[in-house]
Parts: sequence; structure tokens; C-alpha cells
Amino acid sequence: MSTDAVYAKLTEIFHDVFDDESIKVTPELAADDVDEWDSLSHIRLVLAIEKKFGLKFSAAEVGRLKNVGEFVALIESKMP
Amino acid sequence: MTALPHARVLALDELAPGLQACVEFEITAQQMQQFAELSGDFNPLHTDDAFARGKGFEGAVVYGALLVAKVSQLIGMRLPGRDSVWASVSLDFRKPLYVGQPAQVEGVVTEVSASTGMVALKLTVRAAGKLLAKGTAEVVLGR
Repeated sequence: MSTDAVYAKLTEIFHDVFDDESIKVTPELAADDVDEWDSLSHIRLVLAIEKKFGLKFSAAEVGRLKNVGEFVALIESKMP
Repeated sequence: MTALPHARVLALDELAPGLQACVEFEITAQQMQQFAELSGDFNPLHTDDAFARGKGFEGAVVYGALLVAKVSQLIGMRLPGRDSVWASVSLDFRKPLYVGQPAQVEGVVTEVSASTGMVALKLTVRAAGKLLAKGTAEVVLGR
């Protein structure tokens, strides 16, 4: 899967989790940029990403992510 | 001051699909009255036996929210217990529960997410072997 395709899938997930179609999913996007991105939304986001991509992450992997770009790198590192 | 009951403490690595817990209960007339005052819901279906019988029930119907209250007890005290916070709950009510009728709420773990600490539970409420309500809950386990 190309990086663009990963971002396209992530965009769908972000729009669904935050119920906001205006969110632009870029590598720099971080929790501080989205008002609704609190701890529970973060959990929903991680679970949705695991489900959509058929992947599992560890707590440590998720805990050190600082922005979407790092999340994409993690996703790509786990994709076959 | 009376000592409060102690909540069980289960860590994430102690939880796995299939793990279950159960709370036995029966709702008293006093609890019904207290909930009516707390909620402001004085619908006679819940407060007046004769009215409820006139509507085809066997007596005053226990508030659905009191079944949810017992789910709260199950989650907060038994499964997973102390370190858990609700993220969602959903219950479909199938049959009425009546005041003084023994019942049980059971939770079974269906999913455990290692990355987020989210635990999914399947819920059932039964009385005399009959299904009264079924649903799901999501609980986040604090670390």
C-alpha cells in the first residue's frame, strides 16, 4: 500500500472518529491541533486504525507517537 | 462510618476473552422510591403496581437505569474492578424486571486491547433463567 493510500484511509478514520470532515490529515497533525482529540478519542483512533489496517500495536509503540507522520511510519513498518 | 466494600483489582494482563463475573441482586421498593426521587421519573409504570397491571405487566416495572446501575457495580467492583472507567454502554431491554425479583447481571470479556487498555464486555441480565436485557460495554483500564 502506498503512503498516499495510508493517508487516505487515515483521513476516513479521523473524519469518522472525530465526526469532522474538515480535518486535514497531514504528517504534522498532532493532538493539540484537534479540539476533540482527548485521551478517549485517542483510544478510539488507535482501535479504529488497528481494525482498518488489520494490525496490532503495543502500548509502548502507541505511547511514543508525537504526530500522524510517526503513526504512518509505525503502520508502514508493520504492513506486510 | 461504615467501611465501604472493596473493589476487585484486575490488571490488563489478567484479562482475556472469556473471563466472566456476575452480580446477583434484587431491587427493593425503597430503591425504586429513591431512584424516582433522584431521577425525577415518577412514571406510574414504575411507581404504581395497579397502574402497571392495567398495562399488562405483573406489577411495577424496575427502572431500566437500575439495571444499568448494577452493570456499574459489575464493572467497577468485579470486572475489571477498581482501575476501570466506562467508555460506552449499550443495553437492549427484552423483558421487564419486577420489584423483589432475584436477578443477575453477567459480564464476559470479549476483547482486550493491549495498545490502548480498552476492554470490551458482553452483558446479559437474567431473572429465573430468562433473558431480560443484553448489551455491551467498553471499559478503559487505567495504567
